[in-house]
Amino acid sequence: MTDKIVEKVAIQTEESRNQSRRAFLKGSAAVAGGVLFTKSALADSVDGVNKFDPVKAVAPYKGEKEITTVLPDQIERKSLGFGVRKYPYGMPSPYEKEVQRRTLEWLTPDSMASITMTPIQSLNGIITPNGLHFERYHGGVPTIDPAKHRLVIHGLVERPLIFTMDDLKRFPSISRIHFIECPANGAMEWKGVQLNSVQWTHGMMSCVEYTGVRLSDLLKEAGIKPEGKWIIPEGSDASGMSRSVPVDMAMDDCYVAYAQNGEALRREQGYPIRLVVPGCEANMWVKYLRRIYVHDVPLQHREETSKYTELMPDGTAQRFSWYMEANSVITYPSPDFKMQGPGKYYVRGLAWSGRGKVAHVDVSFDGGKNWKEAHFTSPVLDKAWTRFEIEWDWDGSEAFLMSRTTDETGYVQPTMPQMRAIEGTNNVYHRTAMVTWRVHPWDNGANGGLIQNVQY
Amino acid sequence: MFSTKKTLLAAGIATFAFAGSAFAMSGNSGSNSGDAAKMDGKYASNYKEIIEANGGKYLDSKVIAQILGKDAMNGREGLIGKLDPNNPYSFEVDDAIDGGDHGNGQCKVPAAFLDVHNAAKKHYYDDSTFVANGFGTPIAESAMKIWNISVDGDGNGLPDPKVGMTVEKGGEVYVKFCGMCHGEFGEGAKGYLPLAVDQSLVATDPSAPAPMKTVGNYWPYATTLFDYIRRAMPFWTPNAPFIGDAGYMGMVGYIMQSNYIPKGFDKDGNPVQLDDDDFYNSVMLMKQNKFMKNQGNFFCDHRPVVHNPRCMKDCPDYMVGDGKGNIHHFTEARKLPDGSFQYNVPQRLHEAPPGVGHAGM
Repeated sequence: MTDKIVEKVAIQTEESRNQSRRAFLKGSAAVAGGVLFTKSALADSVDGVNKFDPVKAVAPYKGEKEITTVLPDQIERKSLGFGVRKYPYGMPSPYEKEVQRRTLEWLTPDSMASITMTPIQSLNGIITPNGLHFERYHGGVPTIDPAKHRLVIHGLVERPLIFTMDDLKRFPSISRIHFIECPANGAMEWKGVQLNSVQWTHGMMSCVEYTGVRLSDLLKEAGIKPEGKWIIPEGSDASGMSRSVPVDMAMDDCYVAYAQNGEALRREQGYPIRLVVPGCEANMWVKYLRRIYVHDVPLQHREETSKYTELMPDGTAQRFSWYMEANSVITYPSPDFKMQGPGKYYVRGLAWSGRGKVAHVDVSFDGGKNWKEAHFTSPVLDKAWTRFEIEWDWDGSEAFLMSRTTDETGYVQPTMPQMRAIEGTNNVYHRTAMVTWRVHPWDNGANGGLIQNVQY
Repeated sequence: MFSTKKTLLAAGIATFAFAGSAFAMSGNSGSNSGDAAKMDGKYASNYKEIIEANGGKYLDSKVIAQILGKDAMNGREGLIGKLDPNNPYSFEVDDAIDGGDHGNGQCKVPAAFLDVHNAAKKHYYDDSTFVANGFGTPIAESAMKIWNISVDGDGNGLPDPKVGMTVEKGGEVYVKFCGMCHGEFGEGAKGYLPLAVDQSLVATDPSAPAPMKTVGNYWPYATTLFDYIRRAMPFWTPNAPFIGDAGYMGMVGYIMQSNYIPKGFDKDGNPVQLDDDDFYNSVMLMKQNKFMKNQGNFFCDHRPVVHNPRCMKDCPDYMVGDGKGNIHHFTEARKLPDGSFQYNVPQRLHEAPPGVGHAGM
């Protein structure tokens, strides 16, 4: 019975909304190409002081039909909820069950060497919850006993050392928020549009707070010899993941993390320890870290020669392309949502750069012809997601939404045609050009308020 | 064409950065004439100062333009003329220079950068005030016998030359442990990577499926193959003691043979292929390491390749829409007969190879 009434109120609300939209659209014909919904809630200035004008303030609601059905009571108000420790480790509401990591079964032949994407269209702020952090495995997830885990630093060092987890936690700790991005993020879209969700186009990344010990502290403890120019972190999973990292980078801002978002690393992210290489491609952030080998040259291993190198149209390939370049995406509105009629929208999204802080995010509604600067609604941190937002008065006509990051090095995110012209379409990695969301013209919702991923 | 002389450089940058002349490039080469680059034949003799003045960024396009001069920006041809053993900025490492039988050394840190690096005194390990915390436990290198499985591009870490087996025996090991996923002849199976498909890497049709990158047509080092297979294969039981170094060496031999990587050249310059009864060991591997077909075609990170201004109003056509100013000229996903959009179609129908994952990535 209650459900029926709730449904009735919902229908009434929807009718009322549609009615006002129709009224709005009729009225808007008179506004010759002007910006709509800019009615200020402030009356004209009197003696230099803006006075609140209640009539003007409610103007956008003029013509909305009032809801008259009495709001029903709710069952939750009439019975007790569950008590403490029903879930000793809390879980999201069952109503959020659709917010989950997802994969595309056609991407990989098995689940142990595969990837899932973070549902960034459903995230807020700049922190990814641990359970939604994207996954990328090359040999499945080991379940390692931290009491038995060891980290060895050897090779071109004065004192080869072995550390227990307790040893590592005795070192000074550091906590930083950084994004981590697979360089193949967006790889499916080099040749054109494949997918229609931010989760698929940009979900091979997350942003969490890592806590750990500075790699420079560990390397100093072992004492790198002057001829030691590279470190090679190696994992203790089935893939024995290994990459070569220049010692300067290792001594700069890398660290060995044992915690993410305040709790121990999840197994999916390298429990008990992983390397953090801020701003660089996620493949270098070796998980299940058990060995750091110091050497005079890079090892030219599989993940830095045969993979994670970018094939150019002329058949040559770029290698040692560690940094993730400036990038951004509008998460709302995006293809996962539907436009709800003309009017005001707060367009929001994420911007990030592997080369430092985000300096500006500009948003275009006309395919890149004109841009407006968005403001930040989150802290602006080094090599971390930055949340931006901008007000948009949608007049109901077709629009092409794009966002563009300028990072603190002055680098401006390029367009897809520019990137494609130089790097071709067989590159796979580092597709960091802007994406375009096409907002279909409003026709009273007949096309469902469609927002579509298109590509220039 | 095989050559032990390594040719391609990070400086391949110029080809890409300036190829798209439609883009608003920042005109690096032009603006640097005032930076007092002392061009001495093929490169600026004060290259160290130039690198230092740019914060040590030796791979930066601006720095490369300053050191190698404007003519290096005339595509790859201009660059190749700049490469010679006496150029310390060159990435080229010829056997004659560093005296080693090290396989190919392209994309090593250039000698010039190492000089700067060393001169910069960023030797953290030289801090005389440093006292260790003493939190770890010393460990002998000999204790790392099982854990240390790293092999580098020069062959350090490969097993003793006594360890190995004939290419034919290696083929038997391969068929037993690898063939079910990679195909008996390295042709690939079940969505797993082919290991010996020889496709051209040059893009002809941008909408055609990407070429398969295999040991023969893509991998720059043979040492990587031994390191990786012993490290991570067979997929379900990696680093297997029952295969052992000899077995892994044999597999490498079979894969190299399947990819027609020569073991040398006869006096007429024709490649000599591996025989089935050749004993495959680290010596043979290092011989072949010099003849990897694609070894000269890698260059170091040359990004950023696009230098746009942060345009806010009435932006020029090359930055708008399709790159010609048209915002209505776009591609979209395939449409179904009912007009709805159908995503992921090429992959679902196996018309296109996967973009990422164990198979494609």
